[in-house]
Amino acid sequence: MKLQTLKSIIEKKKNKSEFAIITNLKTGESEIFEKDKPLSKEMEVYSNQINEFFKSKKNGVIENSEIFVETYILPIKVIIVGAVHIAQYLVDFAKSLNFEISIIDPRGYFASEQRFPNMKIINKWPDEAFKEIDTNENSALIALTHDPKIDDPALQHALNKKFYYIGALGSKKTHENRCQRLKEAGFSDKQIDSIHGPIGIKLGGRSAPEIALSIIAQLVSETYKK
Amino acid sequence: MKNSFDEKILEEANDWVTANQKVVLATVIQTWGSSPRQVGSRMIVNEKGDFSGSVSGGCVESAVVRECIGLIKDNKPCKKIEFKVSNESAWEVGLACGGEIAVYLEQVN
Repeated sequence: MKLQTLKSIIEKKKNKSEFAIITNLKTGESEIFEKDKPLSKEMEVYSNQINEFFKSKKNGVIENSEIFVETYILPIKVIIVGAVHIAQYLVDFAKSLNFEISIIDPRGYFASEQRFPNMKIINKWPDEAFKEIDTNENSALIALTHDPKIDDPALQHALNKKFYYIGALGSKKTHENRCQRLKEAGFSDKQIDSIHGPIGIKLGGRSAPEIALSIIAQLVSETYKK
Repeated sequence: MKNSFDEKILEEANDWVTANQKVVLATVIQTWGSSPRQVGSRMIVNEKGDFSGSVSGGCVESAVVRECIGLIKDNKPCKKIEFKVSNESAWEVGLACGGEIAVYLEQVN
């Protein structure tokens, strides 16, 4: 691979674009494929197969050829509501996984840069904060404040936008009350049941990093079910 | 979602090149049977044999490192190698898990 190609791949990953690397295994020559952009003459004959790999987000060698296709997908957006202790560990775990984290917390003391260096923290109420984040059914929400004033509007946004993962921290009792409020707000049982509450898989741990681990494990598991 | 989580190996490769090291990318391009790492998994190797990332569960990495050093020494651009199930001979390189993989080596130049 040419160093120039390597550098443009890294640049494209930074710019959050979806693309594929097409490599001729015989010559070692590779090029970058992007949707609606023309391929080189040499690769043009494989354009149908390349598009197929790209659409299904798969990697592999095109049948009866020496062409390898490697697709790059966008990182998953995870919105954490509550810049609390657990969130600090979630940020650490997310660094080694393909998650792009944004943190929302209207409380100034929590949303400080000192607590979350180099992180995008939106120091606003969820209704305002979500105007700054483009979300869709490929997004995830982790609600950690267990304060209805802050969590509920975020949960409502996530349900309306059909996030593939929605988790909310709090005891069974807290969650029951939360479900009741959402029901009164007009959400269906099916929608409400899609919320993971109490959040996380059962690990048994009670410390902040242990809870963060149980949440991130559940998130990864749900990501592969998509 | 079918693709694996990104492991930032290419970013590391760029760092190594910037530090004036010769770098070979080793990528899993095909698998058969129960192989531990999926297609697209990658490791990088420099001329000294330092490596990062993985193409198996530790079964064939040593052999891949040797092949990569050879590629740099012979100044070849690329090479495809296949690893099959290991047999009785104790020190033969192979996949104890029973899978087969094809790994593609390419120099960054």
